[in-house]
Amino acid sequence: MSEVLKPQFTGARVTRLEDARLLRGQARYVDDFEYPGTLEVAFLRSNRAAARIQSVDVTEALAVPGVKAVWTFADCPITLPDRPFQVGQPVLARDEVRFVGEPVAAVIADSRYRAEDAVEKIRVQYEPLPAVVDSRAALADQPRRVHEHRPNRFLHKTHVTDGFNEAFQSAPHHLELTFRWNRQTGVTMETRGCLALPDPVSGRLTVYAGHQSPHGLRGMLARLLKLPEHQVRVVVPEVGGGFGIKAMFYPEYVVVAEAARRLGRPVKWIGDRMESLLADAHARDAIHEVAVAYDDEGRILAVRDHVIGDTGAYAFPGFPGAVGEANWATEMLTGPYKIPHVSIEIECVFSNKAPLGPYRGVGGPIGAQVQEAIVDAVARALGKDPVEVRRANLIGPEDFPYHTPTGKVYDPGSYGESLERALALVDYERFRKDQEQWRAQGRYVGLGLCVFVEPSAMAESEAGSIPYEAVTLRMEPSGVVTAAVGTGPTGQGHETTFAQLIADQLGIDVKDVVVLHGDTDSAPFGGGTGGSRSGTIGGGAAIRAGQALRRKLTQLAAHLLEAAEEDIRLEAGKAFVAGVPARSITIRDLARTAYTDVARLPEGMQPGLEVVARYQPPGAATYSNGTHLAVVEVDVETGFVKVLDYVVVNDCGVLVNPMIVEGQIHGGVAQGIGSALLEELRYDENGQLTTTSLMDYLLPTAEDVPRMRVEHIQTPSASEGGIKGMGEGSLIAAPGAIAAAVSDALAPFGVFVTELPIRPQQIVAWVQAAKTEAQAG
Amino acid sequence: MKIRVKVNGRWYESDVEPRTLLAYWLREDLKLTGTHIGCDTTSCGACTVLLDGKAVKSCTVLAVQANGREVMTVEGLERNGQLHPLQSAFWECHALQCGYCTPGMLMASYALLQENPNPTEEEIREGLSGNICRCTGYMNIVKAVQTAARKMSGESQEALEEVAANGASAD
Ligand code: FES
Ligand code: FES
Repeated sequence: MSEVLKPQFTGARVTRLEDARLLRGQARYVDDFEYPGTLEVAFLRSNRAAARIQSVDVTEALAVPGVKAVWTFADCPITLPDRPFQVGQPVLARDEVRFVGEPVAAVIADSRYRAEDAVEKIRVQYEPLPAVVDSRAALADQPRRVHEHRPNRFLHKTHVTDGFNEAFQSAPHHLELTFRWNRQTGVTMETRGCLALPDPVSGRLTVYAGHQSPHGLRGMLARLLKLPEHQVRVVVPEVGGGFGIKAMFYPEYVVVAEAARRLGRPVKWIGDRMESLLADAHARDAIHEVAVAYDDEGRILAVRDHVIGDTGAYAFPGFPGAVGEANWATEMLTGPYKIPHVSIEIECVFSNKAPLGPYRGVGGPIGAQVQEAIVDAVARALGKDPVEVRRANLIGPEDFPYHTPTGKVYDPGSYGESLERALALVDYERFRKDQEQWRAQGRYVGLGLCVFVEPSAMAESEAGSIPYEAVTLRMEPSGVVTAAVGTGPTGQGHETTFAQLIADQLGIDVKDVVVLHGDTDSAPFGGGTGGSRSGTIGGGAAIRAGQALRRKLTQLAAHLLEAAEEDIRLEAGKAFVAGVPARSITIRDLARTAYTDVARLPEGMQPGLEVVARYQPPGAATYSNGTHLAVVEVDVETGFVKVLDYVVVNDCGVLVNPMIVEGQIHGGVAQGIGSALLEELRYDENGQLTTTSLMDYLLPTAEDVPRMRVEHIQTPSASEGGIKGMGEGSLIAAPGAIAAAVSDALAPFGVFVTELPIRPQQIVAWVQAAKTEAQAG
Repeated sequence: MKIRVKVNGRWYESDVEPRTLLAYWLREDLKLTGTHIGCDTTSCGACTVLLDGKAVKSCTVLAVQANGREVMTVEGLERNGQLHPLQSAFWECHALQCGYCTPGMLMASYALLQENPNPTEEEIREGLSGNICRCTGYMNIVKAVQTAARKMSGESQEALEEVAANGASAD
């Protein structure tokens, strides 16, 4: 068996194969497809958080020219699966509305303008009900139950390590903190949308949608529309960002698909930004009440965490957001630290807010911020340097495989090393001296750290519970390879990274590998993209498929060159005999032979060059890690926070394409800055969402995000290729680092950040309060 | 209403409803779907095009306002099958991921470099602050604009030298 000696492409900064179409404005996103006779849908959405629907009058709407149908639940009586919490969302509200933005009726017309005009003419009579908006009150079913037949608290679970109480009580020091993360959301620049095309001849339905899991979407549509799965074809074209929200299954997709089927016409819906902020999966929205026990050295001995998570009005099928958030945050609560004991209690409630689902990192950002704040609080209480306390608690190289108190097993990483490297990059000792001086001058500069651990390539994630991925590889007679994959990229560059892995196996140019994805007619069944699984699981499948095809090419070459298989090398488009490069045949000739000159094949070899490989990594997950270090300056007059410097030392195992990895990190840090300082979905006491445009829900701009320095450490995983997932780590770590930096900057005022995002008014208030107190004292 | 607009060097005539926004006219009537829509509040810049050489958010300009004027979209950047230096710089610097903001970013960057061929990092960040990218963290976009600025000034330098050389030989 020949070996891949020097990977030519794996690990290289290969520029992306998908970019040519994107840069020319030729890429096609869902809204760019046009079919003659397409009808468009506009939804009437609830403007109440909680109300009984007394009547819906659609007469006037139906009279608008161009309107083909106006549907309420009675016309489209489909409800999303209600497992496991016995609460399923009707695709159009049934009898009662439970959050602002919930679809109540759908207008199907010959243009979006007409459909929108008709929406205005639908008359709904509501009988208002008290809205459940406060999660603590919701726990006690106050002011009422969101779903009459179910208590608001739909999930309660605990996990306590043996000996927790003793460890906690016998510790010399204790502290308590309550953390609050407000609601946020992924905000893909392309809103959600879909287009359904019926085929009257075959009875098949083709659905175009920006989605992270093509097969997941197909399965759910088939089930709800009661069609056999092969009769539904999902095509995911170019997708303008996913970040978790596009992994979910939404009611609008059902209405559009059903309308196409029943009206026999192509039907399209493209959400606008307000719809996206109202009804895309929301995220975070949790309270963590934490108690910490520690010793004189700052070693943390036990942590108690009581989580209250608010999942909104319904649970997304397969991914009730609050449960995902709380599970991840608490399972990863001890992060990179050797904390032996935890006591965890999780309570999740329904409320009259939009359903919570995944957003990049899920509970990871909360868990990481809590974990780092614990360390910083202990350092502050003991008057120690936060770095020193980190060093005292970090899991060391000798501890792997490390069993966390929450039952996770960490594969080797570089926790301490990444921290030390990040500190060196900013010259930490010097920073502390400068900081003193700046403070003396009235400048409040702070440094925050987040040493993170990122679980990736999990058997289960928001992309579903498919623990493997598949790759179909076909080398055409021309020698060009087509690879079909089941992942659902939304900007991560799979066409390039998978091509790199495959090209190296086959000794061909990366440009000679064409990666197809997103079309369930050509892609092998897969879980899709989510939970940072594509690189490790999909990449592993790409390598395995490449290996299988390489074996066949090698056999064929050995036969044609009359050499032993183990002496055959595949490189630079050729198969040759090791040490005798002149004895060679081009891969192109091999391919042509395999299809069209089959008399020359060795006995028993099947013609053609086509393989399928499935790959499931050995562990339940593999853990990336790293350290984020943020330096911020806080203007205590205005409350404005400026990020002055940002350093990332990242370890995601073997790098397939450092350029793409760095791009993911940059983007995650930007989102983390948004999470920490800007982004907040605000509901008022009546359950009205008050942040329904990008003028209220603020996203970081080029002026908010600093220049970043990124370095890599590579501690391989046990997975094929040594790859670890890394799509979420940067958003997991960045909010905690920024929050810690703000706390550090404002330490002279006794400020310690526990609520995100940090509002400027809050900073001003803290500083004022401290000053007033100082004067009074 | 009848309008006549020069788009990417070619005149188009069209009958539009007065409420039609330029972005939709480009996308739906002209099928130039490179111009994207990301919001309804002039906040994201995905729809940025050039109107008489100035960057505008085409989601807030009416198609009729473009009557008799010149529009350039992302589809007009390429020349004779050659990517514009901004496009190739975005490619080399990995300044795009999902690509949804990219056409708007390219057009905003184009206008920026027209006005200021040699911007500082701060000037680039400020100049692009009306364009949101959710994927890249702007790091590589800034780098790409700097790279393009160098390429473009290098090219005009070359062009100048060429002129100088030709001038000399004509003597
Ligand atoms: S679509 Fe024009 S600014 Fe957002
Ligand atoms: S590349 Fe996705 S929004 Fe900019």
